[in-house]
Amino acid sequence: MEKDKILDEGLLEQYLIGELSEEDALMVESALQKDIELKQHFLQMQDDFEKMGFENAVTPPFQVKYELQKRLETPLAKKTNRMPLLVAASLALVFMLSTVWLYTKWQNTEKNLESLQITTADLQNRLDNLEQSYLLTSNRLETINNPNVIPLILYGNDIAPNSKAVAYVNHTTKLVVVNPQGLPKLPANKTYQMWSDVDGEMINMGIVPTDEELVTLKYIDRAESLNITIEPAGGNDHPTVEQLVSYVLL
Amino acid sequence: MKKPHSDQKLILNLSNGDKNALYLLYDNYSGALYGVVLRICRNETLAQDVLQETFVKIWKNSSSYDPEKGKFYTWAYRIARNTALNALRKTDNLIQNEDLSVYTNKTSAEPEPDYIQLNGSINTLEPHHQTAIDLVYFKGYTHQEAHEEMGVPLGTFKSYIKQALKQLRKTYTKQLVWVYFIFEMIA
Repeated sequence: MEKDKILDEGLLEQYLIGELSEEDALMVESALQKDIELKQHFLQMQDDFEKMGFENAVTPPFQVKYELQKRLETPLAKKTNRMPLLVAASLALVFMLSTVWLYTKWQNTEKNLESLQITTADLQNRLDNLEQSYLLTSNRLETINNPNVIPLILYGNDIAPNSKAVAYVNHTTKLVVVNPQGLPKLPANKTYQMWSDVDGEMINMGIVPTDEELVTLKYIDRAESLNITIEPAGGNDHPTVEQLVSYVLL
Repeated sequence: MKKPHSDQKLILNLSNGDKNALYLLYDNYSGALYGVVLRICRNETLAQDVLQETFVKIWKNSSSYDPEKGKFYTWAYRIARNTALNALRKTDNLIQNEDLSVYTNKTSAEPEPDYIQLNGSINTLEPHHQTAIDLVYFKGYTHQEAHEEMGVPLGTFKSYIKQALKQLRKTYTKQLVWVYFIFEMIA
């Protein structure tokens, strides 16, 4: 059936020059496989076809073979060389990009860390300050607000009529603290100084600067009274009695 | 041009990636293939490019050649023919894009070159058989195009081809007998 069709329609002649559709070519190929006679016929046809081709051969210029060799020898070498290079190049690119990415990430992190450190240091400072001022305040409070403390008010006399200082005396811990805020400001070459009267003798307790809230002074045993005088800046060894501004009995 | 006996071995080496086998096959077959390609292209520069391309394709596709399905020449001929027709189509498009009239004038005005003339046993055929073989096997026409070119029905054209091939077979067999006869005489 197939064989007849192939021979009648001249399909073999068309198959020979590769003119058949894929479907027809497959049909012819399977027929050739099955039919030895048909295959023999086709072989003969090819023989004649080849002879005809060789009878009509034209020698091509030598250049064509030379070009062919050049083309087959060179691009292959290039090809094998280019592949790993291409891989290396793309890997390098990937590394470069990731490096840049990581670098920026790192830089950002560094910046964040730095600002955090600054904030932390700042907070630490503020905490230290708070702690210090808290300690100071609590110390002062403890010094003043204590059952053993006797608060004494030193009112000013005629020299300083509106002045007022508060002294806190603790005989148990032998501590004297004065709040000088109520004393009038003095010129720079003067200062207040406090004295204890022991058996008629005035003993130096220390100078009283008015710019502090609480001034700790020397506790003197057996003191009978506390006295404030105005003295030259830096304090005096002996009180200037004419400049006594205030006193209080203990 | 007679092919040496080692063709089968060359073809085997070719499919194993032996470039020298390709160059030897080139030496054996380039003439026959160039004859076909040149007649299809009618332009020596283009034909040389096509021939080179044909052997590059033979080299690249050598593993797909199956000796069971046909002879090496048949396979190589198909590649050469298709490559030539594709190349022609490309240049046709280029020329048409530039100026169609230049191309048509050129082909009709130029005299036929020497290589167009067919040689050998084909010349013993009747003229219309010669034309039929020339169109299909040497000029790259399909059967469809060729029968239109000759102005005969497709069936008639197919029978021309069949008769022409049968005639050629006779001629070649006669030649073989002569060769055998001379051989015997010498011996």
